[in-house]
Amino acid sequence: MRAELRAKLWMGIAYFVVLEALIVAAMLYWPQFAKNLEHLKALIPLDVLRDMADKIDESGASAYVHAQHFFKACNALGGLVAVLFAMNAVALEAQRGTLEIWLARALSRRRLLLERWFAGAFWLCVPVLVSTATVPWLGSLVDEPLDLGLLLLCALHQCLFLLAIYSLTFLASSASSNPMAIGFSMLLAAITELSVYMIERLTHWSVFRFADVGLYQEIYDGGALPWRVSLPLAAVSLVCVLLALHIFARRTP
Amino acid sequence: MNATSPTLQAADAGAIRARGLVRRFGEKLALAGVELEAGPGGVIGLLGPNGSGKSTFLRILYGLVRPDEGSVELDGVRYSGDGLALRQRASYAPGEIALYGELTGERHLAFLLRGREPEALERASATARELGLPLERRVRGYSHGMKRQLLLSAALAPRVRIRILDEPSEGLDPAKRGEVLALLEREKQAGTTILLSSHHLGEIDRICDRLVFFHAGKKIADETREQVLASARRLVRVSFERAPDPARLSALAGVARVRVDGPRASLELAGDDPRPFLAALAADAALGMPASIEYGALSLPELMRELYGVEAC
Repeated sequence: MRAELRAKLWMGIAYFVVLEALIVAAMLYWPQFAKNLEHLKALIPLDVLRDMADKIDESGASAYVHAQHFFKACNALGGLVAVLFAMNAVALEAQRGTLEIWLARALSRRRLLLERWFAGAFWLCVPVLVSTATVPWLGSLVDEPLDLGLLLLCALHQCLFLLAIYSLTFLASSASSNPMAIGFSMLLAAITELSVYMIERLTHWSVFRFADVGLYQEIYDGGALPWRVSLPLAAVSLVCVLLALHIFARRTP
Repeated sequence: MNATSPTLQAADAGAIRARGLVRRFGEKLALAGVELEAGPGGVIGLLGPNGSGKSTFLRILYGLVRPDEGSVELDGVRYSGDGLALRQRASYAPGEIALYGELTGERHLAFLLRGREPEALERASATARELGLPLERRVRGYSHGMKRQLLLSAALAPRVRIRILDEPSEGLDPAKRGEVLALLEREKQAGTTILLSSHHLGEIDRICDRLVFFHAGKKIADETREQVLASARRLVRVSFERAPDPARLSALAGVARVRVDGPRASLELAGDDPRPFLAALAADAALGMPASIEYGALSLPELMRELYGVEAC
């Protein structure tokens, strides 16, 4: 397990640094953004984005954090990292021919796969949680009080969303020998989903509805996870991991 | 005996039993009902051309590939689940070399030996140093032969009764091959059962007690080294101007078996002395004067063709 964690250490740190840099910049920009929000709203061409701006107008800095940190930074960068970690998990071993020596050790396949899944999940979620934990302090720099516990609850939901993407990609990787094909397929799916999200009539069909500003504001205001969304996201991860274990147990090196 | 039983019957310790192994990869039949009983102790060489099913057979024995049909037992333990019980009972060196180039030799050995007893790493490092491997260097700088030796060092380290080695000396220069064979000889003396594969005859006959020939997913012969060498020694290949009469060749003194392919005839003699046969051949005017007579060492493809009638590239 330590070796698996070490293998992704630098990528995990880089991911955290970028997330943190984005939220620092966003928070320091908040006073100016709040001052110009009315003018910005007039420039927004899409109804979906205008709704997002309205939420920020109504709820203030917390909705701004949800938009900048969770919806924009974590969904985009976290989604990318989730795919990068997971697409290589097994498929890269097969592609470069190291699958045989990985499997040939006196360890169960279940253990090998779960260790790899947990290591990726750890580095996917910890930067989200840690960067979120710095938000109240950043808020204090611009005189905006933000609740740490409620933000961490939002971060927890964000992790469930990213883990679902990660586990789905991980499942594909456990059955494939072509990580690039998995990566491009997931990228295409993400672009399609984001496009669907931006179309007013179709937006409710997009998976990004499971991790958008409205939902995070609901968590922040209500002080509880939206189980109707969080539970299915957790279930997707669980089912994908179980399927991956099933496929991996039969995989030929 | 079940897979988790901690005790072993003496007869099972170090024994390999494979019964009716069948494995398909899509349409291709990689193994077609292979049987093998071996051990405890001894070196069994699997010989055959590329694609004959040797590696698939070894991977099934080690619990890396599930058989479609048949059963495997190593050290008294049957194949079950994901094959972990078999992997714990044996060690394995793969035939295909693909390593993690970014790791040093030392860390690679630690990676390969995860799940084994802690002393295994010390033993593997000692073996690797004995073979002259620079363990502090990254594996990406290793030659093909050095990578092979690293895998072999790891495979010889765990305290197990069975070692499964796929092409252990492939890609090694003659001097290193000698060192590797000496290591295997040492293991053999210690009573370990070694199952190794090769498509080179020369290296294998020096150490193996038994030779098993594979072709097209089937075991076509299973003989002691002495039997194979004796058969090879007794082979005479004679070329004539035109196709000879097989019945006439069979009737010659000292001939046990005849195979005719156009103007060429392969004859297996009944004894080690070819002189009675040569005298009879010279005396038979109806067969005509042979264009050439070959008698002596054979390559693996020649041996498989001449002894077992299969073309091995």
